[in-house]
Amino acid sequence: MTGFEHIQKTGRDAVLVVGGGVAGITASLDLADAGQSVHLVESSSHLGGQVSKLDKLYPTDHCAFCPLWTDVKKCMGHPLITVHTLSNVKDLKKENGNYSAVILRGPHYIDEKKCIFCGRCEKECPTDAIHPDWEHLYPPSFVIDETLCTKCGNCEKICPSGAINMELKEEEATLLVSNVIWATGFKEANINHLKEYGSGTHPDIMTSMEFEEWISEAGTNRGNIIKRSDGAIPANIAFIQCAGARDLRMIPSCSAVCCMHAFKQAEWVKRRDKRIDCSIFYTDLRTVGRDYYRYSLRDFEDANIKLVRGRPGLIHPLPSGNGIAVQFENTITQKREIRRFDIVILNGNIQPSLIQLRPAQPGSMAAPRTDKEGFVIEESGETSDFACGFGLEPADVADSVIQASAAAMRITNKESDQR
Amino acid sequence: MANISVFLCKCFGEIDNTINFDFLREELSKNSSVALISTVDSLCLETDIEKTVSLIKETDSDKVLIAACSTLSRGNLVVETLIKEGVERHKIGLVDIREGCAWIHGDNPEDASKKAKDLINMGIAALQNRELSDDMSVTVHPNALIIGAGPAGLAAAMSLARTGFKVNLLERSKVPGGMLRLISRCYPGNEEASNKLEPYIREVENNPFITFYPQSKITSVEGDTGNFTVHFSFQEKDSSIQAGVIIVATGAKIFFPTGLYGYGEIKNVITQMEFERQSLNGSLETKKPVFIQCVGARNRERPYCSTICCPISLKNASRIAEDIPGASVFILHRGIMTPGNTLEKYYRDTLSSGVQFIRFEEEQPPRIIGSDYVEAVEVYDAITGITRKLETDLVVLSTPLVPNNDNVQLAEMLDIEVDRYGFFSEIYPMHPLETKTDGIFICGSARWPVSSDHSILQGKAAAMKAVSYLRQSKIAASTLSRVPGLKSGHARVVPESCTGCGNCVAACPFNACHLEKMENRYISVVNMMKCKACGNCVSVCPNGSVQIPEHNYRMVGEMIKMAF
Repeated sequence: MTGFEHIQKTGRDAVLVVGGGVAGITASLDLADAGQSVHLVESSSHLGGQVSKLDKLYPTDHCAFCPLWTDVKKCMGHPLITVHTLSNVKDLKKENGNYSAVILRGPHYIDEKKCIFCGRCEKECPTDAIHPDWEHLYPPSFVIDETLCTKCGNCEKICPSGAINMELKEEEATLLVSNVIWATGFKEANINHLKEYGSGTHPDIMTSMEFEEWISEAGTNRGNIIKRSDGAIPANIAFIQCAGARDLRMIPSCSAVCCMHAFKQAEWVKRRDKRIDCSIFYTDLRTVGRDYYRYSLRDFEDANIKLVRGRPGLIHPLPSGNGIAVQFENTITQKREIRRFDIVILNGNIQPSLIQLRPAQPGSMAAPRTDKEGFVIEESGETSDFACGFGLEPADVADSVIQASAAAMRITNKESDQR
Repeated sequence: MANISVFLCKCFGEIDNTINFDFLREELSKNSSVALISTVDSLCLETDIEKTVSLIKETDSDKVLIAACSTLSRGNLVVETLIKEGVERHKIGLVDIREGCAWIHGDNPEDASKKAKDLINMGIAALQNRELSDDMSVTVHPNALIIGAGPAGLAAAMSLARTGFKVNLLERSKVPGGMLRLISRCYPGNEEASNKLEPYIREVENNPFITFYPQSKITSVEGDTGNFTVHFSFQEKDSSIQAGVIIVATGAKIFFPTGLYGYGEIKNVITQMEFERQSLNGSLETKKPVFIQCVGARNRERPYCSTICCPISLKNASRIAEDIPGASVFILHRGIMTPGNTLEKYYRDTLSSGVQFIRFEEEQPPRIIGSDYVEAVEVYDAITGITRKLETDLVVLSTPLVPNNDNVQLAEMLDIEVDRYGFFSEIYPMHPLETKTDGIFICGSARWPVSSDHSILQGKAAAMKAVSYLRQSKIAASTLSRVPGLKSGHARVVPESCTGCGNCVAACPFNACHLEKMENRYISVVNMMKCKACGNCVSVCPNGSVQIPEHNYRMVGEMIKMAF
């Protein structure tokens, strides 16, 4: 890996951006366009983050992929941006006003620069450990799931372009950087311990990101809406808002994006199959952006999506296994009801990914100072941590991008001050 | 003329296992344009690329056709590599015979081979007839014009000035500060608005890079990205400046709820802004205030949430509940809009400060009791189903921000868009501060109602976007594209045959076409800095006088001939 060694020597005065989602990409591009070299570290095998998993963006209903793809492509080809995928920041130390960052990188068993995406390795793998990286990815490539891989080496032999090398090991390198931007985004929280939501008890109780993939036009079912349990068309779907969020036991804050996300998914369910009945169980509908409120109005007026104010007290699979009972009080009509649903979507259980990193691997990963909920506390001082995107504050695409550009501006300014 | 080298990529068997390369070679050698046919194992291999490049250099053919995979997989990388090796971009053609041919017709090799032959012949026809668009470049004025000196405009000005660019800051009123001057404290930190404003005002006064123009109003805008000329009246004198970029930070105005809840008739029914003014000058006296949310918002007339009114009410209500002993404070709302962690915590803190919340529905708004002076507010509590009568000495109406009256006029001058309500709007949500015209950015409440903190954030973000334009000495029209190197060209008008009908002017979504007088008639002229090569003008031109050279009529015609 001569390229990586080379980088270690020239990395001084660069900015380290941690996280390759929309926020990280935007911050990197803005800094690089302003003449600043950037190291972009991403833990997964590709750039794009959570937005690459979204089928559509509210409120325009535009495809999320196209604008993201152009930015990812620009990022990959930018002469001032070095992208490190499958990488993590292991350690971060302040030294004489600069940072020295230890990056754990790889192993990239499948070299994305060589992979021609022919798929022979996927067919050859006895344990189904190889699968395409996200379908829309640029450039397309396959990844090996290390938890399933037996290192049998079949894929290595079959690969025509010699892209696979199972001998590779994790590499460690030290980068000298002047600033760090944390753009670590969000992850879905496990709410299995909140028993009333029934999470994990039935295949048709899904989280909203699972459901997004499930109904995505490029996803598992090519846009068809079916039940995960038996493949039948559902008669009705319940969207449970604030599942785990605005809840002092779990995530006290409001996740800001889930109301609109539920509206969008309900709208797309209706567009694809009018017969499916959609109900949204909400606490407050938070529709603060441009056209958000109108989007929600359009949904429940034209598309006939039912809005129920109330947080279900109990969600559990019916004893027959066919269907899920939702017990709730409609707080507007003050009526208590039990209703049967075919699919239940739990929405809102998202939290900054840094909170999940901390208790799991104490000391093994570098992290900025965070509050109790895992949101980055930006420190001010001579060298300071900057943050943007969901890791700083629950934010949708537009807000994340604005925060990213603002963080890039603050870094640019600070450096001008020093000159 | 035989001037095209064709390179057929086998892709390690992915292509030649299905497609018969001998057949392809035989068929392609019949094409008179083909100078050379070469087969390679894979163009992804460095050795094969080297071989290809040396072959291109040896033969005197000047155009290259690559038959390999799709641009979306690795085809584009091959093209990029060839460009790096010195082949000009417009002389390279890429034909996808893998995904769109060999893979999807894997069960029918014979027809797949025929299709590959047709695709390559079409590619050759395209390459042979492709022309190159004209390009132009503009010298960038390394200074910015910022319209509006509220928090967003001030933050943008300070950021740009500190980065080393000259800023001209235009403001309608006499002093900078915008709406922050009218309020006492800012949520969610509860700091004094004047403290927040102070460093920015100091910067405007002291930073030699910022020129402040109070009492000015824009009258017209000329020029393009990198070189705008803005005419404006400055203290009633006409003036003009040139600017490389423009940042629109004109803010918004408050909606006056005349006639709603007795506002204007009853003395102690005031707006949130009047509440702020009274707490600024110390004349506020209330022990039992009732705040009513969504006054004139989230209704048929204004179907939007103004974002900032809920947190403002939380701020003012909790201050009274905490500062005045024995106060009873009510907020009547239709759902409290506090998304995120900071605001949600602010809401929880307000709840524990003793402020009481009552939710009402749009169909059953609260009722004011009293004729000259409000004595009580009657409200149907949607959660408990009980109608309550709240004694009060002050009713505060939370009204939305509405767009400035002259937004549409300014948008027309700048050639940017406003949304259905009249706020300035972006084109893609993923690029929220960028507008239809490159080099013009929007931020703050002129774009959409936002808090002062977010205005400042957006001002900085807009400044960052501006830097990428300002630091270039020249901007070429062909680079004004989100994807570098992928702008397909610019529309070109043939003046001799143009009849000046104006169809293209009406069809252009970017206002790039306009009519100009030439001798005794009018012809259409394309502004390349604005043209995005969408091709709308081509499709409405009655006699084919406007063309995109990279996709001209002759080329498409020849390609169709090859296909059938």
